[in-house]
Amino acid sequence: MQDAENVAVPEAAEERAEPGQQQPAAEPPPDAGLPRPAGPGAPEAAGTEAVSEEVAAAEAGPEPQVRTEVEAASGPSKSPSPSAAEEPPGSHVEPRAPAQEEARGKQVRDERADSRAQAASEDAGGNEGSAAEAEPRALENGDADEPSFSDPEDFVDDVSEEELLGDVLKDRPQEADGIDSVIVVDNVPQVGPDRLEKLKNVIHKIFSKFGKITNDFYPEEDGKTKGYIFLEYASPAHAVDAVKNADGYKLDKQHTFRVNLFTDFDKYMTISDEWDIPEKQPFKDLGNLRYWLEEAECRDQYSVIFESGDRTSIFWNDVKDPVSIEERARWTETYVRWSPKGTYLATFHQRGIALWGGEKFKQIQRFSHQGVQLIDFSPCERYLVTFSPLMDTQDDPQAIIIWDILTGHKKRGFHCESSAHWPIFKWSHDGKFFARMTLDTLSIYETPSMGLLDKKSLKISGIKDFSWSPGGNIIAFWVPEDKDIPARVTLMQLPTRQEIRVRNLFNVVDCKLHWQKNGDYLCVKVDRTPKGTQGVVTNFEIFRMREKQVPVDVVEMKETIIAFAWEPNGSKFAVLHGEAPRISVSFYHVKNNGKIELIKMFDKQQANTIFWSPQGQFVVLAGLRSMNGALAFVDTSDCTVMNIAEHYMASDVEWDPTGRYVVTSVSWWSHKVDNAYWLWTFQGRLLQKNNKDRFCQLLWRPRPPTLLSQEQIKQIKKDLKKYSKIFEQKDRLSQSKASKELVERRRTMMEDFRKYRKMAQELYMEQKNERLELRGGVDTDELDSNVDDWEEETIEFFVTEEIIPLGNQE
Amino acid sequence: MKPILLQGHEWPITQIKYNGKGDLLFTVAKDPIVNVWYSVNAVWYVHADWNTKHVLTGSADNSCHLWDCETGKYFFDLRDPSQIDNNEPYVKIPCNDSKITSAIWGPQGECIIAGHKSGELNQYSAKSGKVLVNIKEHLRQINDIRLSRDMTMFVTASKDNTAKIFDSTTLEHQKTFWTERPANSAALSPNYDHVVLGGGQEAMDITTTSTRIGKFEARFFHLAFEEEFGRVKGNFGPINSFAFQPDGKSYSSGGEDGYVLFLHARHYAGHPGL
Repeated sequence: MQDAENVAVPEAAEERAEPGQQQPAAEPPPDAGLPRPAGPGAPEAAGTEAVSEEVAAAEAGPEPQVRTEVEAASGPSKSPSPSAAEEPPGSHVEPRAPAQEEARGKQVRDERADSRAQAASEDAGGNEGSAAEAEPRALENGDADEPSFSDPEDFVDDVSEEELLGDVLKDRPQEADGIDSVIVVDNVPQVGPDRLEKLKNVIHKIFSKFGKITNDFYPEEDGKTKGYIFLEYASPAHAVDAVKNADGYKLDKQHTFRVNLFTDFDKYMTISDEWDIPEKQPFKDLGNLRYWLEEAECRDQYSVIFESGDRTSIFWNDVKDPVSIEERARWTETYVRWSPKGTYLATFHQRGIALWGGEKFKQIQRFSHQGVQLIDFSPCERYLVTFSPLMDTQDDPQAIIIWDILTGHKKRGFHCESSAHWPIFKWSHDGKFFARMTLDTLSIYETPSMGLLDKKSLKISGIKDFSWSPGGNIIAFWVPEDKDIPARVTLMQLPTRQEIRVRNLFNVVDCKLHWQKNGDYLCVKVDRTPKGTQGVVTNFEIFRMREKQVPVDVVEMKETIIAFAWEPNGSKFAVLHGEAPRISVSFYHVKNNGKIELIKMFDKQQANTIFWSPQGQFVVLAGLRSMNGALAFVDTSDCTVMNIAEHYMASDVEWDPTGRYVVTSVSWWSHKVDNAYWLWTFQGRLLQKNNKDRFCQLLWRPRPPTLLSQEQIKQIKKDLKKYSKIFEQKDRLSQSKASKELVERRRTMMEDFRKYRKMAQELYMEQKNERLELRGGVDTDELDSNVDDWEEETIEFFVTEEIIPLGNQE
Repeated sequence: MKPILLQGHEWPITQIKYNGKGDLLFTVAKDPIVNVWYSVNAVWYVHADWNTKHVLTGSADNSCHLWDCETGKYFFDLRDPSQIDNNEPYVKIPCNDSKITSAIWGPQGECIIAGHKSGELNQYSAKSGKVLVNIKEHLRQINDIRLSRDMTMFVTASKDNTAKIFDSTTLEHQKTFWTERPANSAALSPNYDHVVLGGGQEAMDITTTSTRIGKFEARFFHLAFEEEFGRVKGNFGPINSFAFQPDGKSYSSGGEDGYVLFLHARHYAGHPGL
């Protein structure tokens, strides 16, 4: 049940934006006991306590007043960093602070204590002032009448400062000795006093680029400099900048500067020479994370988000009715994602990502990434890439983080400078490599080190797009025309970086790379403006990857291309082309000899998207959104249209991972009424209409690739008749059982209702006398009970009768 | 299949009701005429007393008028201080939480059952004004409450797309009927275990959506099974009010389109699914 507030503001709730900009408008229902990952500031149940504490600490911060005191007292110092979260423990330098500093700090504290006492006394003070003030005055005046409140000389205070001023001391300024701004430069020429001035000038010229040098020190020995110097900047940021940019600076042939932070010396000196064997983590038994594959009926699971994102459910897909497995309120704040093999369910929260799995959908892992918006799994399910627009800082890249899913540890952070399409990092099919494209550069990284492959990126000037083959470690990328150099598509083997195929193309406007799911074929859709013609012509350049030297064949299309899709496990592809309302679909077949054959073309299609069954052969052509949700179910083995249907205003089509069922849905994110998902068989027979209040998203749980060999699959297909008999029998049984259940259910409902009616009737009869009394003895229970009182009158009206034919009913 | 169309209004129908005998049908709309009765403002509610002597109407100008049914003679405005003793109502029931959107008298006139904007139902004692029973089964505004012929149960129609059956005395929830659109009105058949539901896309959204998804049909449900078994099209806009004739042989629906559709059993009996 929802609470009253939720009902009181339905209008507000309806106007909530799509995920991404979504802010919970209504108060959440008080669902005690359920994890409630909420926005910032709200109590965190399932999320990341550690982070919240750190953030709280940072927010609490020192009082501004205290900070000024510190700055006044200890000169150029680093104010307490708000990003305490990322600093290694012990980086606060108290232990090695000079004694003098310590003393100064204490003085500051004492002064402050005094001023507080003063303030307190003023508060309390009336005309006579407080005891605190009165007492010293009494001593000064030597007035004997006043009792002495002062401590005896040998008095030792037994109250510690922590006890007395714990809350104040907590905020006391941290020591910062300014060494953060100091750098050490090695490989400086050793010079005598005569040339020292010149050297200083040169050094100053090089290093003042990074900030104001406030102090320098050139250690000397036997009249000559030692070859290393110390420089102090006005701020630590300058020092960091200097290290980053001047390290490796070539002064001349003999002298290449090595620049380091002074604090780094200290840091690395204290590292123990002995390596501690990491403590063995206790094995956490998460149960069988793939239990759902063992289901006797081989049913699939799917996740459903509804009530505009407030509730998330997991269902078993069943022909009759979906069977709920798990339903939680506020499981995710925006949407969910399944991992590629279906092991994990990822939920999105302000503070990061949580992964769920196992039979009870327990939390398995969480990744703290404030403001995370997008994620991507590696195909092997070992790594998770998360993106947040909030967290990035100059020296600590955190816009994109790669995590190890098994340990939950951060593997590497990256900046995100360019506004590229997600996923920014594309994974190779086995998860061994991942690559990203920046201006004129293709950077390929390897796992598990997360370092650049061969320690360098590929320089490809003008690179526009790239894509991994799903069937091998091959990268395809393309480069547009540059003056006289034609545009070209390149296929590169990795990690060898060997170019296995280069194809030059002319007059290219744009290219799109489409891999077939097994990596058997690559189709490059090339939009060209051939010389002497007007308008754009589209070519499909089909690369046959499994053959020697990768032969390429071309299909030329005259019409505008609306959509292209490969058959997942085959050698066919479907193309939607033409202009609305004259849209056609064409099915092509790539033959072994390389000939590309048009199998069939259907014209007058109402479609803008192609959805192949994951097993191939069957395809759904859908006219989503603006095309009102027209659906065509096509069998491409003989190219017959099995069914034409419609799910009005459908926004999504999702095949189940086995290719047995299709779901079409109207998401609340795109359309505000009739939010529902419908289940169809692959032939286009409608099985269920599931209306869900403000339904948002349905995602099938993916299955890992089959363990059966090609031969085994063949064998099964051969014996299909044998299996189908068993299944048919099963279906019949369950059907008769279902109808029996239905009859039974109706019978009990009827009985219950009759019982209730009987009770109500009895009560009604009991009240009869009372009713008669209320109505002055007139019985109104029966319509014709007072027939005697009626007077019959015949009145004639002249009326026109309008007859409206109502047409066919649904 | 040929309903009688009563076109007495030019503005959306707000409520229709039969009198106790079922020989008169009262319709009110947002226009100045109460079908045959006079009013100056949009009329929202109408009710005839049990023996059809008097008719009470409530209008959008917050006035409440009493009429003689037979002659159409106007008696007085309930707000008129000279008509009521001491210028005070018999009993005042404070209701501060959520606006009352519909109300009926309980079976023996000893209580009032009110539906609220929040979806709550309250049973007030007519003597003391105290809340006797409070329940919350609906998630959103209750648009309409109608008693069964014997007054032992009533049906509510709510903006949360459902209609529900409650016991009039205990307010115990009995049955629920689901649709995809806000339910504006519901009525219980006097002689069958049927409920008819009307509603559709909200009037304010109609111009923004296609008419085909408005779903302006009258929908028949079986009372015990909670299952829909038939639909009757007819109105071109959302149905605002429903009423069965007390003998159960016909029903009328009044819509936002200003028409009252009068369907006799012979009209809809041949309907597929009925």
